[in-house]
Amino acid sequence: MPKQIDLLQGTLEMLILKAVSLGPLHGYGVLGRIVQISGDQLIIQQGSLYPALYRLEAAGALATEWAPSENNRRAKFYTLTDLGRRQLTHETDRWREMSRIIAAILRLTAPQAPLQPHPAQEPRA
Amino acid sequence: MSLRTRLALLLRSLTHRRQLESDINDEIRFHIEARTADLATQGHSPHEAARQARLEFGATESHKDGIRAALGLRWLDELVADLRYSTRLLRKSPGFTAIAVSSLALAIGANTAIFSVANEMLYARLAVPRPRELRLVAAVSPDPSVIHGNWGSNSTINGQEHHDSIAYPIYRQLAENNRSGLDLFAFKDIGGVNVTASNQAQSASAQLVSGNFYKDMQITPQLGRPILPSDDAVPGQGTVALISDAFWHRTFGGSPSVLGRTLNVDGHLITIIGVNPPSFTGAQAVQISPALFMPLSMVRELVSGFRDDLLTGTDIWWVNIAVRMPPGASQPTAEAALTNTFQSSVRASITPKAGEHIPTLILEDGSRGLSYIWTQLQLGKPIHILLALSGLVLLLACANIANLMLARASVRHREMSVRLALGASRGRILRQVLTESLLLSALGGLFGLLIGYLGRNALPRLMHTSFDGNDINVPFNWLIFAFAAGVTLLTGLLFGILPGWRATREDPNRGLKETAISASRRRSAWSGKGIVAFQIALSTLLVASSALFLRTLVNLNHINPGFNPDNLLTFNLNAPEKQYPGAGAAALFQRLEDAIAGAPGVSGVAVLTPSFLTGGTWNGDFDIEGQAPIQFKKDDPGQFPNLMNVGRTFFSVAEIPIIRGRAFGPQDTATSPSVAVVNQSLARKFFPNSDPIGRRFKDDEDKNHVKHFRTIIGICADTLYNSVREPVGPIHFDLYVDQKDFRGATLMVRSTRPPDALTADIRQVVRRIDPDLPMTSIRTQRQQIDANLQQERLFAALTAGFGLLALLLASVGVYGIMAYTVTQRTNEIGIRLALGAQRSQVRSMVLREAAWLALAGVAAGLAITLALVRLVKSMLYGLQPRDPASLAGAALLLLTIALLAGWIPAARASRVEPIEALRHE
Repeated sequence: MPKQIDLLQGTLEMLILKAVSLGPLHGYGVLGRIVQISGDQLIIQQGSLYPALYRLEAAGALATEWAPSENNRRAKFYTLTDLGRRQLTHETDRWREMSRIIAAILRLTAPQAPLQPHPAQEPRA
Repeated sequence: MSLRTRLALLLRSLTHRRQLESDINDEIRFHIEARTADLATQGHSPHEAARQARLEFGATESHKDGIRAALGLRWLDELVADLRYSTRLLRKSPGFTAIAVSSLALAIGANTAIFSVANEMLYARLAVPRPRELRLVAAVSPDPSVIHGNWGSNSTINGQEHHDSIAYPIYRQLAENNRSGLDLFAFKDIGGVNVTASNQAQSASAQLVSGNFYKDMQITPQLGRPILPSDDAVPGQGTVALISDAFWHRTFGGSPSVLGRTLNVDGHLITIIGVNPPSFTGAQAVQISPALFMPLSMVRELVSGFRDDLLTGTDIWWVNIAVRMPPGASQPTAEAALTNTFQSSVRASITPKAGEHIPTLILEDGSRGLSYIWTQLQLGKPIHILLALSGLVLLLACANIANLMLARASVRHREMSVRLALGASRGRILRQVLTESLLLSALGGLFGLLIGYLGRNALPRLMHTSFDGNDINVPFNWLIFAFAAGVTLLTGLLFGILPGWRATREDPNRGLKETAISASRRRSAWSGKGIVAFQIALSTLLVASSALFLRTLVNLNHINPGFNPDNLLTFNLNAPEKQYPGAGAAALFQRLEDAIAGAPGVSGVAVLTPSFLTGGTWNGDFDIEGQAPIQFKKDDPGQFPNLMNVGRTFFSVAEIPIIRGRAFGPQDTATSPSVAVVNQSLARKFFPNSDPIGRRFKDDEDKNHVKHFRTIIGICADTLYNSVREPVGPIHFDLYVDQKDFRGATLMVRSTRPPDALTADIRQVVRRIDPDLPMTSIRTQRQQIDANLQQERLFAALTAGFGLLALLLASVGVYGIMAYTVTQRTNEIGIRLALGAQRSQVRSMVLREAAWLALAGVAAGLAITLALVRLVKSMLYGLQPRDPASLAGAALLLLTIALLAGWIPAARASRVEPIEALRHE
């Protein structure tokens, strides 16, 4: 089994939006899709998915509808609204920017000599 | 859009709460079942799969809470929980709740009502566009001035004579010739006129106005047209009237067909041309509107009894003049321009006697109506005193709330520590305290609203006499209610939150461990005692003032009026000049006297004017034959005797004893030599060393400027005159039948029949003689006396109510603080008792503490009372403001109440069992 990592703070909502953007899903389906895409590498506290879903619904990013599930049970399906789509684009851009910056910082290896605002000191006589 | 959907969602969650909860449950169940199914396909046993699925999902309740928080419902849930908890707490201590809520309600209600009325009486402006532009013209001069005859009000302000009215011809010249560029308009309240409309005779108040009055007041009638300059142009020809909205509804049921109808006004046919807007009250007063508005040039037809023609003469100054000053206009310039024209006009028509001054004109604020000066003079002081007293009650209620909240907080200190220790956040606890304070204040505010709403109309009704028929409607003042409610709310919040804040800031361990001797608690007890002492001081002030007003009322009620006021029905009648010219009025009254005397159950009928105790005063010259005439002195208006015009039967009907000489008899007629009866005070003052009987005096000039002699034929016992409060003074009684300008009077009927039935019979009699003659101010003599004492009764009732409330609150305060101290000192008391202290010693120790507290409060209260009491000096009767009985009584009452309130905790302290107490903590 590949190594699993905990979800970063604040990224759950973005992942939900991404998962739903691929097609309407119920809550368990959202979870399944995120886990599946990540190749079983992300750990999501399953229950904490729901407050996030309701928060997105309250913000108007998701629309909901009760409909029969794949095994014909009554389930609540979430679809992305226009507002949700814009939010996803916005958050994706932000995430890319953020990870580019962070990656750049992390790429930096220790410099050979400390950075100096002035030319190197002249050797003492 | 986001906010709207969010609100819509919140609203839906609120209204469909049950549906929402079941949806959440369904969704979670679906999730867990789906996961279970998936795990089962991966090879877990069904039981193991279900367990694993639930485990992975986590704490269901906590996630549901997260969902509710996401929907914004958690905040609401907590509020509901807080409210439920607060309600339970308040219900658990009904005494605390009842006292807190009722004191708040009474304070808020009383203040809202009293301040609403005061605001209306003292600060309301006329309902016309831009009332602040209105100015009233007043004539001001040093004494003496060229003004000899005056129908209006005059007063002396800073040594200057101050007249509010001008002679009509001078007003016309001033309006036409002045260079101020301002448009002067005029009005005059002429009081009651007899009006017959829809076959019913009634008395209605009337205001005469100039032709430009409506234009300058900027008032458009709600129906019909205003009075125009053409209506006012020709004297006696402007037989038109606008009626007030109230009169329209009262007499015509608000029918639009009223336009063009004719009214019989004092025998003149007047056509209704319009109806005023409901809020318009004319230029005289803000609260009450005259019923009729007619052209000024109708004054000859409607007003009689003056020695000079009102439209052409300059002897009687009577017209009130007003003007609109546009913003930016210079008042001194306008006053100078008006004075200039005015003085040359006065010089042209009046020749000043030596030393007489010609007045200058000034412009005064007219936005509150002409009668505002009178209102301020008569009611200003009582209203301000009432305001101050009710303000004190508000302060007292605040102190009470503060005290109760502090005591409560210290009791709940331990509870808060427990909740903190169990993990409640500080904000959460503070919110709970806040909710509780708010709930309490809201309850108080709600009842206060009710009291204020009902009280604001009851109060002016108490201030006015019921038979006057003047209904004042005070608009409910939301601003004042908000203020009173806000002040108490703030106090409740402050004293609820402060101890809570202090309690939650400290380490909960300390609160849990803390015992009675902790320093922080002692301090809060001290602040509690300060508040209670303050309460007692305020209560002393309120109780002492109520004692003063109660004693005043008692003193006034015990005054003997000098006549028999029981079984006397009185009413007023006026004979209009048109139907009853000259001596016709006196003849009419003689007919009325005879006809009413024949009604069943009537034992006597008499005519008198002015009537007893109505506030009306008549006096005139009193030149005794053989003595120098009395010189009029401004600083002593009481030097002339008062007079009363009466019928022959007056002394027997009023049951006033004749001391010497004789009363009027059938031999005294309109044509026989004039006679008079004087009272004992007059005999003593004007004939100290001689017998007045047979002496003659001259009173005022008649229309031809001639004075006639009257012979004194008898001396009667002293009676009161215009007011219960005025001491008895000299009065001479003259026969009304030989008064040339007699127009109307009061009829006094003695009968043991019920007043209502008697009134109905008399109405029939009067209607048979003249159906257009309305009876007005129908009341028994007792009602008249009660009306005379209305203000005193109102004050006594209100201050007694305030005093009782103060006593109640003070006793609650003392009880609360002493009970608290005893609880705190249970340990100490136990030790004392264990060491051999007597139970009676413990009891007196607690009582002593209560007594000191009360003494400090009472002493402070008495000091404040003594300092402030001279403010009400003029409102008291028969006692000094520093009345020892009232002050000592108030002090004693408060000390007794404080000791009684302290007795219960003291007794409890003395019953402490040492073992129990020592085990207690």
